[in-house]
Amino acid sequence: MKISNIQMLNGLRKLAATILLMSLSLLNFKAFSQGEALFKSKCATCHQTHKNGTGPKLFQVRDKWASGGAKEGSIYQWVNNWQTAAASDPYAAEVSKWSPTAMSAFPDLKKEDIDAILDWVDAQPDPATAAPAGGGATEGGAAGQMTDGTEEEGSIAWIWIVMGVIFIVVIMAVGGVRRQLNIATSEDPASQEKLTYGEELRSWAWKNKVYVGVATLIVVISLIVGFFQSLYSIGVVEGYQPSQPIAFPHDRHAGINGIDCKYCHNSVTKSKHAGIPSVNVCMNCHKQINGEGKPFAGEIQKIYKAAGWDPSGAGKYTGKETPIVWNKVHVLPDHVYFNHSQHVSVGGIDCKQCHGDMTTMNETAKVQPVEELNKIEGNIKLTRPTLTMGWCIECHGAKEVALGNGKSGYYDEIHRRLKKDKALYRKYLKDGKITVNELGGWECAKCHY
Amino acid sequence: MGITKKYWKGLEELKETPEFIKHKEQEFPHQQTIEDFLADEKLNETSTARRDFLKFLGFSVAAATLAACEAPVTKAVPYVVKPENVTPGMPTWYASTYYDGVSYASILVKTREGRPIYIKGNKDFGFTKGAVNPQIIASVLGLYDSERVTGPTTKGNLTSWSKVDDAISADLKKAKDVVLLTNSIISPSMKRAIDEMALSLNGEGGTVFSHVTYDAVSYSAIREANFKNFGAPLIPSYDFSKAKTIVSVDADFLSSWLLPTEFTKQFGERRNPDGEWMSKLIHFESVMSVTGSNADYRGMIKPSEQAAVLAYILKGLGGSTSVASNLKDSAKKAADEAIASLKKSRKESLVVCGSNNVGLQILTNKINNLLNTYGTTIDMNNSVELFQAQDSKVEKLVNKIIAGKGPDVLLMYGVNPVYTLPNGAEFAKALKGIKTSVSFASHADETAALATYICPDHHALESWGDFKAKQSEYAIAQPTIRPLHNTASALESLLVWNGKRARGGKDSAVAYDYIKETFATLYPTSDFAYTTHNSCIASTVAPLTLAFKDAAVNGLPASGDVEVVVYQKSAIGTGIHANNPWLQEMPDPITKVTWDNYITMNPIEMVDGGFVTTYDQENGLNLATITVGNKSLTLPVYPLPGQALKTVGVALGYGRGANGEKIGKAAYQTKEYGGYVENENGKPTPIGGNAFLFTSFSNDTIQYSAVAKIEKAEGIYPIAATQIHHTVMGRHSIVRETTLDIFTHKDKEAYNPAHTLQRLNKDLEHEEAPVSEFDLWDAHPVEKIGHRWGMTIDLSSCIGCGSCLIACQSENNVPVVGKDEVRRGREMHWLRIDRYFASDEESTVGTRKDKNTFSYDKAELAAENPKVVHMPLMCHHCNHAPCETVCPVAATTHSNEGLNQMAYNRCIGTRYCANNCPYKVRRFNWFNYPSYKKFTEVNPAQDDLGRMVLNPDVTVRTRGVMEKCSLCVQRIQATKLSAKKDGRTVGDGEFATACSDSCPTNAIIVGDWNDLRSMVRTSSEDKRSYQVLEEIGVKPNIWYKVKVRNENNKELDKLQVVEESAHHGGSHGEKKAHH
Repeated sequence: MKISNIQMLNGLRKLAATILLMSLSLLNFKAFSQGEALFKSKCATCHQTHKNGTGPKLFQVRDKWASGGAKEGSIYQWVNNWQTAAASDPYAAEVSKWSPTAMSAFPDLKKEDIDAILDWVDAQPDPATAAPAGGGATEGGAAGQMTDGTEEEGSIAWIWIVMGVIFIVVIMAVGGVRRQLNIATSEDPASQEKLTYGEELRSWAWKNKVYVGVATLIVVISLIVGFFQSLYSIGVVEGYQPSQPIAFPHDRHAGINGIDCKYCHNSVTKSKHAGIPSVNVCMNCHKQINGEGKPFAGEIQKIYKAAGWDPSGAGKYTGKETPIVWNKVHVLPDHVYFNHSQHVSVGGIDCKQCHGDMTTMNETAKVQPVEELNKIEGNIKLTRPTLTMGWCIECHGAKEVALGNGKSGYYDEIHRRLKKDKALYRKYLKDGKITVNELGGWECAKCHY
Repeated sequence: MGITKKYWKGLEELKETPEFIKHKEQEFPHQQTIEDFLADEKLNETSTARRDFLKFLGFSVAAATLAACEAPVTKAVPYVVKPENVTPGMPTWYASTYYDGVSYASILVKTREGRPIYIKGNKDFGFTKGAVNPQIIASVLGLYDSERVTGPTTKGNLTSWSKVDDAISADLKKAKDVVLLTNSIISPSMKRAIDEMALSLNGEGGTVFSHVTYDAVSYSAIREANFKNFGAPLIPSYDFSKAKTIVSVDADFLSSWLLPTEFTKQFGERRNPDGEWMSKLIHFESVMSVTGSNADYRGMIKPSEQAAVLAYILKGLGGSTSVASNLKDSAKKAADEAIASLKKSRKESLVVCGSNNVGLQILTNKINNLLNTYGTTIDMNNSVELFQAQDSKVEKLVNKIIAGKGPDVLLMYGVNPVYTLPNGAEFAKALKGIKTSVSFASHADETAALATYICPDHHALESWGDFKAKQSEYAIAQPTIRPLHNTASALESLLVWNGKRARGGKDSAVAYDYIKETFATLYPTSDFAYTTHNSCIASTVAPLTLAFKDAAVNGLPASGDVEVVVYQKSAIGTGIHANNPWLQEMPDPITKVTWDNYITMNPIEMVDGGFVTTYDQENGLNLATITVGNKSLTLPVYPLPGQALKTVGVALGYGRGANGEKIGKAAYQTKEYGGYVENENGKPTPIGGNAFLFTSFSNDTIQYSAVAKIEKAEGIYPIAATQIHHTVMGRHSIVRETTLDIFTHKDKEAYNPAHTLQRLNKDLEHEEAPVSEFDLWDAHPVEKIGHRWGMTIDLSSCIGCGSCLIACQSENNVPVVGKDEVRRGREMHWLRIDRYFASDEESTVGTRKDKNTFSYDKAELAAENPKVVHMPLMCHHCNHAPCETVCPVAATTHSNEGLNQMAYNRCIGTRYCANNCPYKVRRFNWFNYPSYKKFTEVNPAQDDLGRMVLNPDVTVRTRGVMEKCSLCVQRIQATKLSAKKDGRTVGDGEFATACSDSCPTNAIIVGDWNDLRSMVRTSSEDKRSYQVLEEIGVKPNIWYKVKVRNENNKELDKLQVVEESAHHGGSHGEKKAHH
């Protein structure tokens, strides 16, 4: 019946998942300093450490305020709510004239948090000198590892081929000896001599038809299985890296400047699309950052052209907008429904899990091969090629869903209902966790409708 | 045992004709040589011509080569400046109002990335309370019609607004006589603009400006009768939810009469037998209508007998009139029932009449006055502002124009007189003689094509508007998309021509500002933005002091041997949306015919007249010619049980574009392999015939029935119906119904018995056990855990209007297949509404009279005046789905949430599943509908504009796969996701399928069955709930509820009794409740 089939399939998949899990090393999160984390989540969208952006640079900003004649503690008041600070401190009032925008209020940040942020900022070296060396090293490392992997695989294949050839030579040699012996011992050499190698093979096969039949069957089946296995592992779009109208460096934005992915891809928590940022989002920062004198100034000019921004003088919008036509990198077929918010907001999946570490990606975006994704710390390790269905459901089979922890009314209710069927619940918990699969993550209509 | 009989396959074999002997040996006759075959000129008409084959071959090779090289590049273009309230991938909903001159409703419009894609009723605001009809739901497709006029035209050539404005303004200044001919204007702003125009024009150099209101289907007689009886020419508000007895004389208030969107909701409220009380509907009519099919008692009358019915009831209630009151048969029975029932309910009654004859409306008023219903079910204070036409004025104007004494300038808004006037042809000729004629039409239709200028108005979804459909409410329509074409609001055009405003261009705010001004005068203390958000605001109703005074009844309709009635179908109405392929393909609620109008006739008369009464894929229907005076129309004759004898019916709204005007691609007949059927002039042939020909001005009103002659004509016409058999053939397990009396007084076992099977118990004795206890399969784990999505459909509430079907089509990207494919039974609708008649062999639908004498042949011939049941049917999402077990590739599987899932990409199209489905709800995708030439005219997905209506969350299925109702799984997933994101449980009623969303009577309830307190759980456990074909044990997730009629049915009383002993013969679980 269909049910038992599916359950059997489930069993197999779970076995595979268990083996996979056992091979995983323990997850080891790198401890981010609190200051860095806070800077990236709260400040990095407007501020940079060493350069003025939408907001002024923050490197040694406390010293700047102190030397500028600001009142003691005024800077903390400013971060909590700049208006109160500006009202009481003339220096802060002067700072509030910064254009283009006023600063958001962060009433939640305590004095020690702000100090932690600024301590971290002050400890940062100037990226203008530090960055290129680091980037180059990463790239070289990645390339080196890739070559190693291919070489190893190649050598194994070579051994198999050599062994196969030796095996055939041995068989033919032994066969020849046997043939000669037969001819020598035969009473009627004439009849025997007529037999060619082929005929002899046929007669031998006929005599041992059961063994030959079974062996052939095994060989044919394993060939078919092998063929399909190899089909499954074809990465249809892995490594796809189309050229883009603007050479956008993710490492500079997300890496060096520490801008949160969600600042630009802001519908990722709300919608099925992560969203390619509209040009007005780019202009939030690039009104100031025009890259003058840098090799990439031309790329930023393209943004101005798209936004209809005339940067000369104080700058103004001309109203002549030309949308940017990007080439989509991660393209799913029309019959697949994928929702970013489901994975990011509900599942709590990091962007890295599927897109790789964009903070080090210094060329146009590409579909990262699964081996690259597996190298990233904290990622669930998968085997199927990126963006294939196997890859999706492998992850659905591995990812744990936290049930009944009182954090989500939805999952608490599901947990309450699930507990009613004790046998099923125990079966689900055999591997110690409830996975997405067990909550319907492998059902067709999860993604196909 | 030897076989002595001779068997033969045909008479030829029996007689051993020479031809038979010659061909006997040839299994594949070689009558045509290959050369002949290839030389056949019709070959390229066939579906795989040689060249097509080569094309496919070449393409496959090329595609395979290309596919192996690299993936195609997909572009992504983000906004330059993203609007604040748009999140790509998330729908944005706007509250708005729909009004097209006939239908009115408060609506919600769903937009995706700025494109309106779906319309549903607004359940929170507006007096229509969320009710919509198929036309309103389908109107979203009209926005993307590629044949709309894209800008202002002069004599058919596109020009600029400035040129048109200059020319028309100059003409207006020069003109002596200006006439504005419109449909009923219910917009306070538009009225203000017209008044301003009248004021400034009338002042100038002796110009006479007049505004004439013309409704193609007029309610002029109600206003005239109320003027005579009360001194106020108004249409009152009717409240069907307060009426215990409803008597309707040819008023199809559930589908076309006056304000069906409001009335269906009211009617639906009182059709629940579990409620405090259930209303009783007594309906008199000639053609079986949606209302008639829902009547508890139905009288069949000729249109000329309406007076007699009203007089009979009036006299029966103690009133007096000189009008004759001779009735017979079904009419007398129904009228007697009406009198008895009215006497009981007195002022909690409502009598309505659908005729546009003043005398009949006065008679109706007299009955209502006698019953004292004014103040309870009829509210004279809160008048309905729709249908303001005064037919006598229209007649005068039309006669003047035809006589060549027309105005200098004729402005036409929302009207199509060339099509809708009985003398449209003469009007068309005269229109050419008018110096300046201006049309605001969206298409170069019958009238606009002849006008000097077309100044196209925005589509309703592109423009601002305000409406006052009733005294009690002011409503606003807001645009949901930037205008697609270079069109302009008609309100703005009037203001510009009057010199009050300057043109605003593409993003004009002229109409918006003007409506805001109107709003500010009407509601100085209310917020416009907040009102727009709700779409409407209540307004105070000034009480009137009206006293009833008697009036003379005269000018009643003439009678004749055969009378013809023109009526509106629920999909096509008056023909405004005749170019909408969704509506053309919507099966009519009663006849189930698509893509045509026809003559309806009682099958009994058809047999006598020598017409065929059966039709199918190969066999069409006979043609006949109806003649009224000197006008005639030849159409196929459709056998409609329940049609009054000696009457015939023809639907309005067909025969649009008789001269091949550009009114929309789907408005014409198409050939078998695409392209239009062309007439002798090389113009496309319209669909059906224009029945407005049979209307007439008489006694100062437009009449919709006439004395006619009918003659059989030569020829057979193919007809495309989705249901060609009529009755349920006594199968008790499909439709169940009972009477209110039985329902209230007897046990569930009497009217809704459980299916049982016999089994051996422990003591090896036979016992009856419910079907649910027999199982071949392992139980699917849907019972308790997680969600289990289910649905209940109340057959008592379902009126068969077809809103669900169109909503489903809109939501799920269901392709339109055209008449030829429907005829082959290949319609793609995921949801169908089965309509069953009760024949003489069944005392009521689905109940066998007598097991021993029951005859299927007789059952198929439905009764003269049958009972009707409407039954929406979609995928039942069986927990033991027979389709799933036969799929060789596991393309259809079961989810743990009780859904029968369909993975299109896995499907290889064996169609085993459809073959094994007991409900026949699976649809095979035969063609590449979005690209094959056969569907170019009909399928909106073949058009760059039309494609914009597609729901981006639902796959457009390709050729060769099976598809079916998914229970709107995209909405299930969206609802779950929204709950997960908020960290809360899924609320009851939060998830709604398109069908349940659009049902005006709330007959369809969906929800999570595992939520013990949910509406669907409660409803499914009701004593009226049953499952269709429960006895075959497929365990569906859909329940139906027994239809309850508020009638007396002695046959049924005898049949539906609780049996004393458990002695049943049927081993198939067909336990019958009869002896």
